[in-house]
Amino acid sequence: MGERTIDIRTVAVLALVGALVFAVPLLTADRYLLKVLTFVGINVIIITGMALLFGYAGQVSLGHAAFYGIGAYTSAYVVTSLGWPWLGGVALAVAVTSVGGLLLALPSLRLKGHYLAMATLGFGEIMRVVFVEARGITGGPDGFSGIPFASVGGLAIDSAGANYWLIWGVAAAMLALAANLVRSRAGRAMRALHGSELGALACGIDLTGLKVRVFVISAALAGLAGALYAHVVGFISPSTFSLHASVVLVAMAVLGGTRSLAGPVLAAALLTLIPFADAVIPGLSRSALETIQEWQEDIYGLTIIAVLLFVPGGVAGALRRLSRVGRRWG
Amino acid sequence: MSLLEVRSVSKQFGGLTAVDDVSFDVFEGAIKAVIGPNGAGKTTLFNILTAFDRPDEGRVSFDGTDIVGQPPQRIVRAGIARTFQNTQLFEEMSTHENVMAGAHAVTRAGFFGAALRLPWTVREEREVAEEARRLLRLVGLEEWADTPAADLPHGLRRLLEIARALATRPRLLLLDEPAAGLNTAETASLADALYRIRDRGTTILIVEHDMGLVMEVSDEIVVLDRGAKIAEGPPRLIQKDPAVIAAYLGEEDLDEL
Amino acid sequence: MGGTELLQFVLAGLKNGSIYALVALGFTLIYAATGVINFAQGEFYMLGGMLSVWAYADLGLPLPLAGLVGVAATAAVGGVFELGAIRQRKDGDPLALIVITVGGSMVLSSMARHLFGPNERPLPLFSGGGSVSVFGAVLEVQTIWILGLTALAVVGLWYLYNRTGLGRAMRACAVNRDAARIVGIDTRLMVTVSFLLAAALGALAGLAVTPLTQTAFDVGPTVGIKGFAAAILGGLGNPIAAVVGGLVLGMLESVSIAFISSTYKDAIALIVLLAVLFMRPQGILGRSSREKV
Ligand SMILES: Nc1ncnc2c1ncn2[C@@H]1O[C@H](COP(=O)(O)OP(=O)(O)OP(=O)(O)O)[C@@H](O)[C@H]1O
Ligand SMILES: [Mg+2]
Repeated sequence: MGERTIDIRTVAVLALVGALVFAVPLLTADRYLLKVLTFVGINVIIITGMALLFGYAGQVSLGHAAFYGIGAYTSAYVVTSLGWPWLGGVALAVAVTSVGGLLLALPSLRLKGHYLAMATLGFGEIMRVVFVEARGITGGPDGFSGIPFASVGGLAIDSAGANYWLIWGVAAAMLALAANLVRSRAGRAMRALHGSELGALACGIDLTGLKVRVFVISAALAGLAGALYAHVVGFISPSTFSLHASVVLVAMAVLGGTRSLAGPVLAAALLTLIPFADAVIPGLSRSALETIQEWQEDIYGLTIIAVLLFVPGGVAGALRRLSRVGRRWG
Repeated sequence: MSLLEVRSVSKQFGGLTAVDDVSFDVFEGAIKAVIGPNGAGKTTLFNILTAFDRPDEGRVSFDGTDIVGQPPQRIVRAGIARTFQNTQLFEEMSTHENVMAGAHAVTRAGFFGAALRLPWTVREEREVAEEARRLLRLVGLEEWADTPAADLPHGLRRLLEIARALATRPRLLLLDEPAAGLNTAETASLADALYRIRDRGTTILIVEHDMGLVMEVSDEIVVLDRGAKIAEGPPRLIQKDPAVIAAYLGEEDLDEL
Repeated sequence: MGGTELLQFVLAGLKNGSIYALVALGFTLIYAATGVINFAQGEFYMLGGMLSVWAYADLGLPLPLAGLVGVAATAAVGGVFELGAIRQRKDGDPLALIVITVGGSMVLSSMARHLFGPNERPLPLFSGGGSVSVFGAVLEVQTIWILGLTALAVVGLWYLYNRTGLGRAMRACAVNRDAARIVGIDTRLMVTVSFLLAAALGALAGLAVTPLTQTAFDVGPTVGIKGFAAAILGGLGNPIAAVVGGLVLGMLESVSIAFISSTYKDAIALIVLLAVLFMRPQGILGRSSREKV
C-alpha cells in the first residue's frame, strides 16, 4: 500500500509459492512428510507473530512457547474434557492467550529496557511449572492424550492431507493479514519506532500502546498455533512448551531477520525441518539423521550467535539482495 | 489570542537550573524566536513544551488547556509538533514514508482495519500519501520522495523533519535550530518555507543561533540566559538590549547581533 | 511447627539462598559492566560442577585441585565467550547481546552433553558426610562448606571492589562507561574481567552444590533463572543487593515449602521475579529511578 505498489513479479512469485504449498498433498501420499510439513505450517503461524514482535517492534520474548502451550491445553481441555466444539476451543485459546499477553505486556512494556525479555522468561517458566503441576487439567508430566481431530459442523478433518490444508490455510490467512498490517499505518509506526524512538514520539505514536498491541497479537498467534497443534497431534505434554522451545522460536525470528515476513517464514521452515531432515531429504541415512538430531541444539544456538554477529540481515537480508539482483536482470 | 502560555516554568538537572522561572506567550499566527547562548536552556524548554520532559514547577497551557503531565502523543494530537536539534529521522524509510509517519496522530486506521484492508483504511492511506506529497512540495523535497532518509543530503534533512512535523497538522510548530548546518542559500529557502508555513495558519516557535535568520523572520524574540528569561520583545529592541548584549559577550554570535 | 523445625527450614533457605546469591552476583557484575542480562549465567553454574567432576573422575585429580580446575576452566569459558561472541558485536546493542547470551546458553549446555554425556554425575562430599547439630536442627557439613565458600567469595569480591585498582576501575565503568574511558580505563578489558568473574562465581556455586545434588548438562537454566530472580529482587547492578536478594529468595522458597506446599516451590522464585519486575523494577534495595519510555 502507500506508494509502494507491489510489483507484478512479487505477485507472481507469491502465487507460485502458494500454489506449490497447497498442491503438496496432491503430489505425495507420504504421511510422515505431510505431518512434518504441517508442523512447519504451525511454526509459520507462531513466527508470523514473532516477526512482528521481534522484527518490527524490536522486542524479545523468551516465553512464547508458554502461549503456545496455553493455547494447546486450553483447546485440548475444553474440547476433550468438556465437549466443546473444536472451533469453540480454538477461539477460547486465542482469547485466553490474548488476555494473558495483555496482562504480561502492560506492566513490562511500560518500563524501558529489556524488562519484557525478563518478564516473559519468568512467565514461561511459571507456565512450565503449571503445565506439570495442574494435573487435573493438563494431565501433568505424562501429558494430555486423546485430543480429537478438528471438525467443523460434523465434518472431521482427520486425514494427514486435510490437516495439512487446514494448517496451511490458517497460516496463509495469518500471513496475509500480517502483510497488510506491516504495510499500513501501524506497520509504518513500528518501523518508525525502530528508526528513532524520539522521532516516533514526535509523530504522536504511542510507543507503549503499539508494543503492547504487537505483543498481544503475537501471543494470540502462538495460542492459535497451539490450539491447532493439539488437535493435529492428539497428544500434548509439557516438554513441547519449554524454555527450550521459546529459544528455538527466537532463533527462527533472529535467523529470519528484521522488518520482513518472508525471511522469518523461511527461517522457521528451515529450523523446523532440521530434526525431521529425513522427511525432506530422500535417502538420508539413519546415522546421518541421528547426528543431525544430536547436534540440533548447537545448530540453533550457533545460528542465533552467528546471525547476530555476522549477518544481521538474516534470511530477510539475503532475500532483499536476491530481489535486487532479480530486478537488475528482469 | 495567546495560543501558548508558559508560566513560571522551572527545571533542574541535579544542582543545575536549566530553565529558571520562565514565562512568555506565543500568539496565534506569529513567528516567535527563543535565543540564548549555548546551554541557556532552549532545548530543555522545548522538551517541556512537548512533554519529552516534565517541569519541576510552572504551568504550560495550550489553547486554554493545561498540558503539563500529558503524554507526548496527546500533545501532538492537541496540535504541537516539533523538530529536533539532532535530527531524528527514520533513516531506513523513504522521505515520503517519513512524512506519512508524521500523519500518525491525525489518522485512525487501527490494527484490525489495516489487517483486513477495510475500504476506509485504504482510502485514508491514499489521502495520507497525497498529503505527504503536498508537504514535500511545500518544503521543496518533492524530487527526493523515494530516497531513503539516510541518503538525503545533509542540508535537506532538517526540511524533511519540518515536513514530517507538519504532517501532524500542528497549530504550533516548534523548530530547534532548523538552520544549523545549512549554507546561505539553504537558509534563505528555509526562511521562505517558514513564511509559507506561517501563511497556512501554523504558528511557529523557533530556537536558532543564526541571528540573521532570527532577526529576519521573527515577530518577537525571547532571550534566555542560564535558564532565565532576560529579555523579550521585537527584533529591533532585542538587538539593542544591553542585557542581551552582555549575555552574548564573549560569544562569537556577538558580531552577528 | 516447632522451633527446631523452623530452624531447619531457615538453614535450608540459607543454603539455597547463598547459591542464588553467587549466581545473582554473576548477573549483576556483567550487567554493571555492559548493561546486558547474561542468560548464559546458569550454564557457568552447570560447568563449574561438570568440569570439576571431569577433573576429579576423568582426570583423577585430588578433589581440592579438581575443584580449582573446574572453577578456573569455567572462568576461562566465560572469558572466551566474551572475547569470541560478546565483543564481536561491535555496536554493543544490548538487545542483540542478550539474545546472543541466550544462544550461548544453548550451545554451552549442548557442548556439555556432547563432552560429558547425558547422565547425572556425582562428586564426593568435600569432607565426608557428617553433620552438626545447631539447637537441634541438622546442619550438614557440606552446607557449612557452601555457606563458607559463599562468604569467602563475597568478602573476596568486596576486597577486589574496594581495595584494588582493578576493582575501582570496574566500579568506574559501572557508574559511567564513557567517563571511565576518558580517564584512561580500558573498559573493554573490564567487560572481559566481569565475564571471567561472573563465570567463576557461578562455577563456585555449581562446585559447592554438586556433592549434594549431582550435576547434569541441563541443570543450568533452572538455577540461572533463580539467580536472575535474586538479582532482580535485590536490585540489578549492585553486588550487595544481589547477595541480599539471593538470601531473601532462598528464605522465601524455604518458608513457602514449610507453610504452603512444595508443589509450586519452583514457581515461587518466578512469581517473586514477576512481582518485583512489575511493582518495584529497581529491586528492594535499588533507588527509585523508573526510566521514562
Ligand atoms: N538530561 C539532562 N541531564 C542533565 N543536564 C542536562 C540535561 N539536558 C540538558 N542539561 C543541561 O541543561 C542546560 C541547558 O541545556 P539545553 O540543551 O536546554 O541548552 P540549549 O539552550 O538548548 O543549548 P544549545 O544552544 O547548545 O543547544 C545545559 O547546561 C545542559 O548541560
Ligand atoms: Mg539546544
